[in-house]
Amino acid sequence: MENAIEVQKLRKYFGDIHAVDDVSFKVQAGEIFSLLGPNGAGKTTIISMLSCLLHPEDGDALVMGHSIRRDPMAVKAVLGVVPQEVALYDDLTAQENLVFWGKMYGLRGAALKQRVDEVLEVIGLSDRQKGRLGKFSGGMKRRVNIAVALLHKPQIIYMDEPTVGIDPQSRRSILDNVVALKNQGMTVLYTTHYMEEAQELSNHIAIMDHGKLIAIGTHQELVQIVGEMDRIILTVNTAAEQVTEAWKATPGVKHVSAEDGKITVMVDDSNRVLPRLFDAATASGARITSVDIQEPNLETVFLHMTGRELRD
Amino acid sequence: MKVIDIALKDLLRSFRNAFALIFMFVIPIGMTVLFYFMFGSTAGDGEFTVPKTKVMIVNQDQGSPQFQTRLPGGQSISSQGQVLQVMLQSPDFGSWLQVSISSDAASARTAVDRQKAGVAIVIPSDFTAALYDPNRQTELELYQDPTLTLGPSVVKSILDQLMDSFSGAKIAVGAAMVQTQSADPGLAEKVLQQYWAASATQLGSAGALLDTRAPVRAEKSASPLLGVVTQIMGAMMIFYAFYTGTATAQTILQEDENGTLPRLFTTPTTQSTILGGKFLAVGLTVLIQMTTLIVFSTLVFGIRWGAPLPVVLSIGSTVAVSATMGIFINSLLKSTKQGGAIFGGLLTITGMIGMMPVFTQGLANKPPALEIVSLLVPQGWAIRGLFQAVNGESVLVSVLVLLAVSVVFFFVGVKKFTKRFA
Repeated sequence: MENAIEVQKLRKYFGDIHAVDDVSFKVQAGEIFSLLGPNGAGKTTIISMLSCLLHPEDGDALVMGHSIRRDPMAVKAVLGVVPQEVALYDDLTAQENLVFWGKMYGLRGAALKQRVDEVLEVIGLSDRQKGRLGKFSGGMKRRVNIAVALLHKPQIIYMDEPTVGIDPQSRRSILDNVVALKNQGMTVLYTTHYMEEAQELSNHIAIMDHGKLIAIGTHQELVQIVGEMDRIILTVNTAAEQVTEAWKATPGVKHVSAEDGKITVMVDDSNRVLPRLFDAATASGARITSVDIQEPNLETVFLHMTGRELRD
Repeated sequence: MKVIDIALKDLLRSFRNAFALIFMFVIPIGMTVLFYFMFGSTAGDGEFTVPKTKVMIVNQDQGSPQFQTRLPGGQSISSQGQVLQVMLQSPDFGSWLQVSISSDAASARTAVDRQKAGVAIVIPSDFTAALYDPNRQTELELYQDPTLTLGPSVVKSILDQLMDSFSGAKIAVGAAMVQTQSADPGLAEKVLQQYWAASATQLGSAGALLDTRAPVRAEKSASPLLGVVTQIMGAMMIFYAFYTGTATAQTILQEDENGTLPRLFTTPTTQSTILGGKFLAVGLTVLIQMTTLIVFSTLVFGIRWGAPLPVVLSIGSTVAVSATMGIFINSLLKSTKQGGAIFGGLLTITGMIGMMPVFTQGLANKPPALEIVSLLVPQGWAIRGLFQAVNGESVLVSVLVLLAVSVVFFFVGVKKFTKRFA
């Protein structure tokens, strides 16, 4: 399958901070590709470079065959960008916003009017098109924010954490729209720090941390990185530090981390190891008050590879 | 085309912003209306009226044996000081001046100091004698309340006209004496009689010894009050044009902070188009503001701004400098948070410096340096240019200076913004 995006050894530094450090990946045409990682992982910096907003220190990327270094205007012409924060004019109506942004993408006359009507229909705001954006709810603004990027029927759309801080209903609507875009043949580069979103939407997922790409593949491929490991989340009534140390020495335990009163233990086989965890806790003078056993998922992968929870 | 789209979008946003509209139109007009009511009130026919100025005259003129004449009304007069006194007490000035007579200069000055009178006029003892001696010069003393501006200006204007007439009479008497080589007092009296009669016949009124330029007989545009309103309106218009230029240019920083400017940069639109559109919006906004204020003040206050071409040049160069100064100032700011200090500080200070000549009008001892200091800031040149247009003077130098400053502001601002968003 043809590659819509090819990122080649991209680097970006802000002073001493390596925001993006030697990152390479390929996005196939017509797929949803997610960049998953905590805040500060470098996801937005990559999107900014692929949008030609930031110049890379080193490396290059081809977007539909156009270099972000040598041919930024051609890159911009095939892109639709949905920024992380709503970037619209509150003192203009939804329709005025869409007309203005449509013109910036080169649309004019009847074609512009038709596309504005179409995207308003897609986001379900046709009846609110004359309303000032400043009067809209956060979810409605997010939908207009996405609609702007769709006006010129781009081949690729970048969506930078489009569901942050919105109500569940609007979130569901946005996720459905993303899938609909993919079904229309559009390539979607999606960034998120919500594991469930990446898992639900993506054909391929790249996990990032501290500017580096630490794993890439399909959901199944990534989960296989941690093999058959189970994730057990426990709480104890007392002596958590002593228990944590005791569990680290327990046979079958691969990794132990503690946060917010919860202790996460990665094990080969939960059925076999769990009784040993109870024994070790008792020996440390503590009592286990809750147990939650989870199948391997992207959170497990991130924990396995970084030693930290994804929400860090 | 995209340049215009961006500019029109910014214009639409500006004119939907109540705060911007208040600064652009309400405050300049409001300030002018305020001054209008401070200095006068509207009559039914729209004419202005001014509070009467209390004038105290001290006539120390000892006359001259040669001076025996009659005014066109037949009144016998024995000194030139008496002529001046009678004229100032004329009904023609009744709506402007409230004249009283004092016996000595010290008490008249004390009355002014205590604000019992607005102006004291002390006529020197040799006022008449100087009429017959071409080499002799004498001076009227005008002692005024420094807290007043309009009243003393009116009195000074009237005195200037009267003194012009006296100078004319002196020249006429001197010329007759030289021509005839005579010292006959009767000849001097005849010349004076003929001079007064000619003036009166020419002007068609005994009380109109004043030149027709005298304020009381002047047409509306030359009314002292309208002159003040013109000055205030012009100054306010320019003062707030600079605010508008800076505030509108600040949308570049606002859009950067709100994310709309970075988003614009993700569209297939060049940086020069985007910044060009923003800059065009700044210029158009100030242009609309100034044009509206000019038209409004012409229609409502009856202000005559001068011949079209000088006014257009003056307004055009003011628009250019206020817009480019806004771009320049904002190019120096890191964020809109710094804008408050700029609004409160820099623009107010430079604006006040530029307006100094306007607000010191009528001061008796105005330092000449004020005019020079005001020209240290663009607002001073803009005000100078506008009032040169009003007075029918050449605006060329002012316009060229403003355009030169605009070019500097524009290129520095563009360079800094281009570098910032590169």
